[in-house]
Amino acid sequence: MNKIDRRKFLKNSASAAGMLFLTPYLSGSMLSSSKLTQTGYFESEFGIDDMMCQMLLEKALSKGGDFADVYFEHSLENWLNLEDGKVSRSYGNVLLGVGIRTVKGDQVGYGFTQELTKESMLSAAATAASLVNESARPVAKNLNSLKTENYYPFDPSMIDLPLQSKLPLVKAINEKCFALSNLIVKVNAGFHDSIKRILVATSDGVKAEDILPRNYLYASTVGEKEDRTEQSWYNFGGRRDFSFYTDELVTKLSEEVVGRTEKLFEAIQPPAGEMPVVLGPGVTGILLHEAIGHGMEADFNRKNISTYSTMIGEKVAEPFVTIIDDGTNTSQMGSINVDDEGTPGKKTILVENGILTSYLHDKISAKHYNVKPTGNGRRQNFEHYPMPRMRNTYMLGGNETPEDVIKAAKKGIYIEDVSNGQVKIGEGDFAFYVSQGRMIEDGKLTAPIKDVNIMGNGPKMLENIIMAANDLKMHEGGAGSCGKNGQGVPVSFGLPTCLVKSMTVGGTQQKGGVS
Amino acid sequence: MNKEMYKLCKWAIDTALKNGATDCRARMSKRRFVEIRYRDKKPEIVKEATTRGLNLNIYINGKFSSQNTPDIRQTALEDFIKKAVENTHFIEEDPYRSLPDPKYYEGRADMDLQLSDPKHGDLTAKQRHDVVKTIEEVSLDKAGEKVISVEAGMNDSEWEEVILTSNGFEGTKKTTDHWAGASVTIADEGDRKPNGYFWAGARSFEDMPSLTAIGEQAALRTLDLLGGKKLKTESLPIIIENRAVGNVLWGFLSGLYGGNIQQKRSFLADKKGKTIASKLFTIKDDPFIKKGFGSRLYDGDGFPAKKRTIVNEGKLEEFLIDWYYSRKLECEPTAGGTSNLIIPPGSKSADMLMKELNRGILITGFIGGNSNSATGDFSIGIIGKLFEDGLPVQSVAEMNIADNHLNFWNKLSAIGNDPWKYGSWLTPSLVFDDILVSGI
Repeated sequence: MNKIDRRKFLKNSASAAGMLFLTPYLSGSMLSSSKLTQTGYFESEFGIDDMMCQMLLEKALSKGGDFADVYFEHSLENWLNLEDGKVSRSYGNVLLGVGIRTVKGDQVGYGFTQELTKESMLSAAATAASLVNESARPVAKNLNSLKTENYYPFDPSMIDLPLQSKLPLVKAINEKCFALSNLIVKVNAGFHDSIKRILVATSDGVKAEDILPRNYLYASTVGEKEDRTEQSWYNFGGRRDFSFYTDELVTKLSEEVVGRTEKLFEAIQPPAGEMPVVLGPGVTGILLHEAIGHGMEADFNRKNISTYSTMIGEKVAEPFVTIIDDGTNTSQMGSINVDDEGTPGKKTILVENGILTSYLHDKISAKHYNVKPTGNGRRQNFEHYPMPRMRNTYMLGGNETPEDVIKAAKKGIYIEDVSNGQVKIGEGDFAFYVSQGRMIEDGKLTAPIKDVNIMGNGPKMLENIIMAANDLKMHEGGAGSCGKNGQGVPVSFGLPTCLVKSMTVGGTQQKGGVS
Repeated sequence: MNKEMYKLCKWAIDTALKNGATDCRARMSKRRFVEIRYRDKKPEIVKEATTRGLNLNIYINGKFSSQNTPDIRQTALEDFIKKAVENTHFIEEDPYRSLPDPKYYEGRADMDLQLSDPKHGDLTAKQRHDVVKTIEEVSLDKAGEKVISVEAGMNDSEWEEVILTSNGFEGTKKTTDHWAGASVTIADEGDRKPNGYFWAGARSFEDMPSLTAIGEQAALRTLDLLGGKKLKTESLPIIIENRAVGNVLWGFLSGLYGGNIQQKRSFLADKKGKTIASKLFTIKDDPFIKKGFGSRLYDGDGFPAKKRTIVNEGKLEEFLIDWYYSRKLECEPTAGGTSNLIIPPGSKSADMLMKELNRGILITGFIGGNSNSATGDFSIGIIGKLFEDGLPVQSVAEMNIADNHLNFWNKLSAIGNDPWKYGSWLTPSLVFDDILVSGI
């Protein structure tokens, strides 16, 4: 049995669990920058060489199948949290393992193991192979390393940062928030960071390696005013290096979250029913994610269960509407140098000048449609098989000014921040929750609104985007994830200020009355 | 108790203490699972694996960290634990952070909750495939000509945990579960393709409901979605179907948690002992239901599980307060979460309730939405049917309900006799009067 050097993993695991706390003494003995190069990590640390990968691939195809892949992952995650003025808790998590997939047509056999021993990995490969019962299929004789771009320039020294470098950021948020407003009664803040290393090897001879950082600084505040209590939450992050987290960012985050909490004391519930909706720039791009993004994931379309299954080449929106799903944006949460099947990160145009142009493909759907994979084959971790998933989904800006878009709405609501989107793929019906917004009256922004759900139908909503401003903005956060079939992956959004002619607003008052 | 897991937890605690921890809690778990999915009468997914992990909570005089690792080899763990303890020193001291007072561990019930199927290991691949094939066939048949796709599946797993603490708690739990169901997509007008599903489960394979019933339910619930459209905004009675109640109830429960109360994020913080809902609204928590999905003998702190009433005829009687927040709030701990949460059923079926109401909306599912734990405001999209003269007449889509929990639960006017069986929240269908449903 080819034993892996688990002593090396031991060191890495321990440092991962305590990554936030590394002292200068420890940091010297842990994950040095030299071990963070993109290539060779799994070979040097765990003995996973090309021969081992090919042996596993051969086993996965030992009973036939179209292709197979192996996906090694070593992830280190840390979370530091402040409550009641103290950074009094930390959490660490380590993931290590390999997932092995055998594919025949649209059928998937999948096994995984946390033990990187030859015996255990071959057993997982045998599980994957059990999908089919035909004669063995050969694998490529050599694995060729994939050369990729780097869309999240990563400072390897971040993993060596001692606790002393991160803790003050979190402490400072607490102090600033309380200093900014005497309405604030509670502050919760924290820093979350993770490093995910992957190695993908495929039976057609591709080998790809990557390091994916992800981190964010967050704050929530609770305010009290007379007999009312309000709370807000905000974060900044993405696939960043530590230089992103400056004193200026701490101030910006504190001002943002406190300002949001204060504004909620003036907020009202909007009227219920259909009305014009203006989506402010940035995180409101979740609208695209729900209204069209999921429906364009090609697995839903090859099964003919998406409302968009028959619409490729058709006009779905006004000519000024171009919607893109992009893995190549610098430092965005959904950016990927390579997807989890070994396809390089790409930019995919979903809607070009109002015409539906492409689905989001993994290898299975690309073969089904006889097109090239779009680099959307993603998975939560090695315990899951990949499927088509979005990356950063956004709409290009139009020619109007934001003020003109709001003016054109005349009477309706303006949405600034949203959460909890959901879509029914077959019907195209979707919903998302507005945590911050304003009424629009006489073409001007007036009273703040909050805590209201918005309902719509994807294809209808696309048709109803009648104006777009020239202020495309991407989401600035690093928290949260998109869920599908029990798997969460990080994604991002972007949108310019847009006017949707009509959507259903789930308020508590009949139209004409405002509480 | 699994001796190997026990020994490892004990050793991990001893090692942590030897390296300077003042207290330690070790929890080891492992899970074996199998997943099979069929579509177009052939396997779409076949997945199988075993996972395991060790969680260590390390305490050093009020300093605290929690670490997870999948590497449970003793040689590897020794260095891991040493580093974890060293690193915990850098966290700020929290006077409220500690393992629970051991006196609270006393009094655990001694009974067999029958949470593990002793025959689970005998389940064969053929049996699993036969389950899925049967459900797929029934769904395809029942959905008829309109069917576009049926995805049928079965998951089953065996799970075990051992928890030890340095101040004397020892606990173990072993469970099995089996789930089977189908997701059905059918053709509707235009490009609409309604998708519905039905999944059911049981601790023991032999307790699984009829596969035919599962397949039929998946198809019928999807056919019920045909012709869904938005109706005009109006106030009318609603019935929330048993399996959908949890989507609204969780927002109410969020106000009960000690963390939200202590952090001033609870709309119920000052409501204990007060009437906050209709007299029909009672919530009980029963951890001792045989084969229950939420059954347990100890809670997350290691405290003995006990039956309790959280809301009694509209009066709030108990919060959900764990050890840590009980210290911060200077009160006695209750339990930080629920086990089998029960709303006692009434005597009428959902069909009878529709007939009595004559006209209203039966909500069979929700979409999107959220609830604000600090204010109690919520807003959530609905899926269901308009009923008139006591009978469903029109599927509804793209509609929404919104309210405040302190108002909403006062409108509870009737309770069905049909508690949901396939989960740890045993909620029957509920009737609410005069709810604004927004649409056109």
